[in-house]
Parts: sequence; C-alpha cells; structure tokens
Amino acid sequence: MQVGIDLFVLRKSWLHEIDPRVKLFFVAVSIIILLVFKNIFFMLTALVLLHLLHWSAKIPRDRILFVWKTLMPVAILICVLWVVFYPAGDPLIQIWMVKITLVSLAQGAVLGLRIMTMAFVVFAWLYSTDQPSIVRSLVKLKMPFEWGLILALALRYIPTFQGMYAVISEAQQARALNISEGKGFGRVRTLMPIFVAMVISALRASDQLARALEARAFGAHGVERTYLRDISFRPLDWVFTFAIFATALLLLYLNFRYGFGRQPISLF
Amino acid sequence: MADEPMSSQTDTICLETRDLWFAYGDNPPALRGISLTIRAGDFVGLVGQNGSGKTTLAKHFNGLLRPTQGQVLLYGQDIRDRPVGELARTVGYVFQNPDHQIFSATTREEIAFGPRNLGLEEAEVQRRTEQAMEHFDLTEYADHQPAVLGFGLRRKVSIAAVYSMRPQILILDEPTAGLDWHCTHDLMERLTALHRQGHTIILITHDMRLIAQYTPRCMVLREGKLLLYDDTRKVFEHCDLLRETHIELPQVCELARELAPIGVRRDALTVPELCDSYADLIARREVTNAGGH
Amino acid sequence: MSKIIVVEELSYAYPPAIPGHDPVWVLRGVDLEVEEGEFVSIMGPTGVGKTTLCLALNGIVPQSTGGLIKGRVLVDGLDTKREPVPQLAQRVGVVFQDPETQLFNMSVEAEIAFGLECLGVPRDEIKERVSWALAVVGMTGFEDRPPFQLSGGQKQRVAIASILAMMPKILVLDEPTANLDPLGKAEVFSVVRELRHKRGMTIIMVEHESEHIAEFSDRVIVLNEGRVEMADTPDKVFSQVDRMREIGLAVPQVSELADCLNHRFNSQLNFTQFDEALRTLKGQLDGR
Repeated sequence: MQVGIDLFVLRKSWLHEIDPRVKLFFVAVSIIILLVFKNIFFMLTALVLLHLLHWSAKIPRDRILFVWKTLMPVAILICVLWVVFYPAGDPLIQIWMVKITLVSLAQGAVLGLRIMTMAFVVFAWLYSTDQPSIVRSLVKLKMPFEWGLILALALRYIPTFQGMYAVISEAQQARALNISEGKGFGRVRTLMPIFVAMVISALRASDQLARALEARAFGAHGVERTYLRDISFRPLDWVFTFAIFATALLLLYLNFRYGFGRQPISLF
Repeated sequence: MADEPMSSQTDTICLETRDLWFAYGDNPPALRGISLTIRAGDFVGLVGQNGSGKTTLAKHFNGLLRPTQGQVLLYGQDIRDRPVGELARTVGYVFQNPDHQIFSATTREEIAFGPRNLGLEEAEVQRRTEQAMEHFDLTEYADHQPAVLGFGLRRKVSIAAVYSMRPQILILDEPTAGLDWHCTHDLMERLTALHRQGHTIILITHDMRLIAQYTPRCMVLREGKLLLYDDTRKVFEHCDLLRETHIELPQVCELARELAPIGVRRDALTVPELCDSYADLIARREVTNAGGH
Repeated sequence: MSKIIVVEELSYAYPPAIPGHDPVWVLRGVDLEVEEGEFVSIMGPTGVGKTTLCLALNGIVPQSTGGLIKGRVLVDGLDTKREPVPQLAQRVGVVFQDPETQLFNMSVEAEIAFGLECLGVPRDEIKERVSWALAVVGMTGFEDRPPFQLSGGQKQRVAIASILAMMPKILVLDEPTANLDPLGKAEVFSVVRELRHKRGMTIIMVEHESEHIAEFSDRVIVLNEGRVEMADTPDKVFSQVDRMREIGLAVPQVSELADCLNHRFNSQLNFTQFDEALRTLKGQLDGR
C-alpha cells in the first residue's frame, strides 16, 4: 500500500460529506481534550470511539492498521521510558534498579494512548478530506491562498522527491558508492553525492514548476480568484459544530470542577 | 557487406539470465521468465514500450535489482551475493537523466568519483579520468562545474563518469533522449568505438533508427517477456510484430518493404542500403531496356 | 492575414550561473514573424536557445528570469517585456517538456481548472471549459484521476488541455514529446494534428522529430548560434541535407534518401513525407 501521498480515501460517508472546517475544529478541540485528560479509562474509551468513527466513515481496515503500525512503536517506547524513569507509589515488581509501579504503568499507558488517539483524530480528518478541500478550508479560514498552494505543492511532490531520491541513490551505487558505509558524520559524508545531486535536481524542478505556474496565469493582478470546487456550510455542519463544542465544554467543565479524568486510574 | 556494423563479439558469454522473474512489491510481475545470453563484445539494442521491463531487466545486470525468482550470471557466476559496488567494476550503468548523478564541483572530480570508489591508486584514478575525458571530448571542460554545463555535455559527463570505472559491460538507458542529431550521432560513434575496443554495450532506446544503424543485435521486450532477440536485420523482419508492440520502424525500413514487390531489397536498414538497392534496380532496368531495343 | 508574433532583433543573456562571470548571450539577434493561424516548427541544436525563445514569447524571459535583453517581442500587439506574465498567459499558452513539473494538482480536473481559477473565470464557465478541453485531447472521463498516476502521453495531453482551457490564441509546445516513449509521442502528435486541422490556432512547436515536423508545419525555423538561420517550408529546409548536417540537425529519412539518390543520378528529387516518397520512387520505376 502506498501511503504518504494519497492519504485521502475516496468513499461516500457522513464524515466525507461534512465541511472540512468542521473536521478541523474537531481535530483542534479533540487535541485539547486529549492533552487535558490523563485517565487511562478515558483514553481507552476515546480510542474505541475513534475506531467507531473510522469504521462509520468506511475507512478500510488496512488504513487503520497503517496508523497502528506507524505510531505504535513510538507509543510503546514513550510508555516504557515513562515506566522506567518516573516510578511513583509502591512498586509492583522490582527488576534490579527498575521499579515498576501501578501508577507509573497507568501514566505510561496514558502517554502512549494519547499518541494513538491523537493520531486517529488527525487521520480521521486526513482520510476523509481530499487535499483541495483541506487547502480550500484553510484558505477560507483566512490563510493566504499562496500558503495553501505551497502546502498542496509540498504534499503533491512528496512522492516525486521520494522517487527522485531512490533513483539518485541507485545511480550513485552504480558508481560503486557504498551507501551503508560510515557512521554518524562519516555516513553523512558517504551520502553527500546523493544529497547534492538531489538538491541540484530539486532546484531544477522547482525552477520548471515556477515557470509552469506562471504559464497558468498564477499571480494575475486585479483578479479575484474563483474556485471550481467550493465548500459550503450546511445546516448539518452547524449541528456538528455545536455538538462538538457542547461536548468539549461539558468534558472540560467536569474536569476543572470535579477533577474528572485527572487521575491516572480513578475517574474522579 | 561493407556497411554492416562491425561486431567484435566473441564466444564468451558475459551475461546470462535463467528464468528471471521479478515483481516490485506486491505488484504483478514486471519480468516473466526471461532467459537470455549476451556474448562478450556484443552491441545490443534493448527496445520495448515504457513498462515493458527494459529498465527493470537492465538493473538486474548490475545487481540494483535482485530476481524474485531465477538467476543472473556474470561470466558464468551467479551474482546473487555480490554487492552493486563490486559488480560496478564489471558492469557500468548510465542512468537516463544525467542530473540524477551529477554532484561534483568540477567535471574532473565527477569523473574520478567512480574509480576512487573502486579503491584504485590515485595515479590510476587520474589516468582513467583523463582518458575518459579525452574519449568523450570533455577535457576543455575539466575544471567547469558539471551541473551548469549544457544538457548535451552533462549527458557526456554522466557517461564518462561510468566509463572511467572501465567496466567490460556498459549499459546505457536512453542516452540519446533529448539530444539533437549531431550529439546523438557523435555519442553513438563514441560508443561504437568502445565496442570496437571490445566492450560489451547494451543500449536501451526507443529510436529504431539508431538500432538499425549501430547495434548488430537487438532485443525486444513486451509485457515482461522476451519477444524477439536476434541479429538486428532478422528482428526487423518481424515488422508486424514490432508494430503491434507500438515500435515505430524507421521510414527507410517501411519504404523498403513497400518497394520490395518491384525489386528493392526488403531488408534494407539504412538510407545508403536502400539508396544502393534502388540505384542497382534502376541500373538493371536500364540494361534490360537497352538490350530489349 | 496579420502578424500575430513579431520578434525584432531579439538578443538575450541569462544572469551568469556563477556570480561575477560574464553573461553568455543565448539569443543574438533573432528576427521572426508568424502569421495568425500558422503552424511553425522550431528546430535547433541542443542548447541553442529554443526554450529561451519560447519563454520570451510569454514574458517569462526576461520578466522572471532577469538577465540582459535587447530588441523586442510583440505578441498580439503586446510587448512581452512589459505586459505581466499572467496577462500574457491568456494569449500565449506554453506547454513544457517535462510533464512531472507542469502538473502540480491532485486531480486532472483541478489541473485544468487551475489557470481559469487564477483568471477569475466564473464557476459554470470553468466547468464547461474543463470538459471541452478534456474532450479536445481525448481525456474525457479522467477528471478525478491524479495526474501523476497517468502515462507520459496522458500527462502531456492533460498539460495541453490545461493550457487550451485558457483559450490562448497562440499555443507554444516546447519539445512536448522529448520525454515520451513512441506510444506517448503518437498520442501527443495526434492531439497536435487535431489542433492543426480543426481549430486554426497559431501553433509554435519546438521539436527534434523531423518526420513529424515535415507532416505538420507550414514553416520550419532553424535556429543556429543564436540566430534564425533558415525560415522556409519543410520542403525547402529538408532538401538542404548537407547544411542541416553541418548545423547538427536531423532531416526526415526520406529526405536523406532523396539527397542520396540525387547525388547518384544528378536528379532533383525532393520529398519530405513518406507517402510522397513512395509515390515518387514507384513512379520513377514505372515510368521507365
């Protein structure tokens, strides 16, 4: 499966239909909530709900597995490091110098789960929104069109540059460059012939790209840009926005007022 | 024939594939059971549409790709365990786009990069570099920045930079793409000179005019299979099969076929050949006509 | 007929690649006039400034590239030194050699709409023009496909459509088939053939493929050493086989053959196209 460029999954689902700005709002609010809450059961529930969200948006299983495969190593690493370096409370077991406590286990798990839940929030947005819509929504949120274009171009040319790197690396290996040679700085030196050729090629490509943009009347003065595909807020989008807002407010109120979800293990 | 491309091939087999299969990841196979031999000293044209597997096959010859199934043998030995860097001593591979390898501050350094990687003594590196620059007429650009030279020169630098490793076998992926007539033929002459010195040359191209004029042997791939592999003249006999593969025959070859019924040699490959044959025909007619009266 | 392109004494030098070096003049006094509706091919050795001349027609040279310029270029009455490039883009559309760097959108539809959006064309009209342009290049039904997944020939057809949609009076094709395989070349040339015969656009095509130049062109311009060396019908240009060789350019194989036979028989054969050659060669024999 080629992920990296076309993260977007073309499906017909309610999540695909929502205005991208609502999804962006959901991502922002969810990240705040996930940073505020520190309870393992809250995180587990969130994780289950997010899987339901992906499932209801008809995101295929391999895309969900992709998120797990990509981020689980980081999540586990963070969890283990926390457990090893920040013991709190009575040790459950002690192996040599390392104390493992129930509290630090739960705290570590929360940190790990936070990575996963945040990832699923962001990927729900990316999987269900095509790039023109993402750019369009950012521009509607008052980001300058040029920035949006640069973002879109960056995403568009990731696979091109990946391919370029692969070819250049092969071309230099064919000239007997041993790319696995050296460590640290030595390795950087080994890879220089690839990096330099890459930079030269990229400069050439960006020069051509700039010309192509100009040939398509990019930067025309005194013209208000039109859009073939536009996005518009429908009544349902207002409903979702309100629901997200209300839920977030409720959760944050419970958290600040009653300490809901502040402890690693107990809910209050 | 006087204008038959000279072939310095020997009976030694330098490259061989046995039932070679290859697939990129989970994709359908790009090569489907290719078995072939290339003799040392051959000059082989490798043709086929994009996606037919030309480049994929060629990358197996220097180990950049490894067979999913089957074997590649270099001088009779399986190259399975030999790294690309070591194979580069024997098999040189010039990539399609010169900009994908040029990185040095001077042309001289660029060309010395390969030999240096081979661990040769500095004197030998210098000797080979100067000789490669001479062969490709680059000496006057030795101290120029190769990245800002014109396209035709960058192309020659990229070939010289592989040739300087003195590989017995030289593979070139579409080296004439984007070059004008003069640069194209200049380059082909230089490759022919290397061929005469005994190098084995494998030329990937779409230009059948070059195959007709320069390469005595020709290999045609279609959908990952070896469709034709023979002396160029014999391959060109299968013009229907070639057209089916969307390979465009040179105008001269098409013309020879159309004129064959009236007595022109059907297998003419180049302009002089067709011209000779047509001239002969007219001369003969004149003799017959004169005799008749 | 009116002159839609007038190039007078155009000389141009790019800013030196290495600062402090002397500028190198790529074009050295190019004179050229093109009639409205004409099909003109430009040939020239590698590095002679063919691309530079194309870019001078839509103002990218010198407006974006900088450098030194002398003389002037008038396109549809506008001076390309002064008229902003985006404004010129509506009159002169340029299709470049490399498909990868001129297709920068995520769908074919967005690609073709891009120029129109920049020009502020109303949405309904964009829709119409997108489907029209796709139909012209035979790519209807590809709207939602990402351009980078298409074949080389398809990519170049999309690139042509993205320019056609802006409805320029002049179409400039800068080596549109140089990066393509024979199948892709054939696809692009069939689009060019269609434009040539049905639409009456002014077309400037830079190419090395002399056989196709012979087929399409009203006139062939040969650039050499920064100047226009020849500007004539394909018949006249391609019959000068020796001169073309000296410059380093290809002529169609049938023209080479005509030249070869002329040397043999001291005859005056001149053909640039396959059918013409076949007819003449058969006729010569039958006639005897």
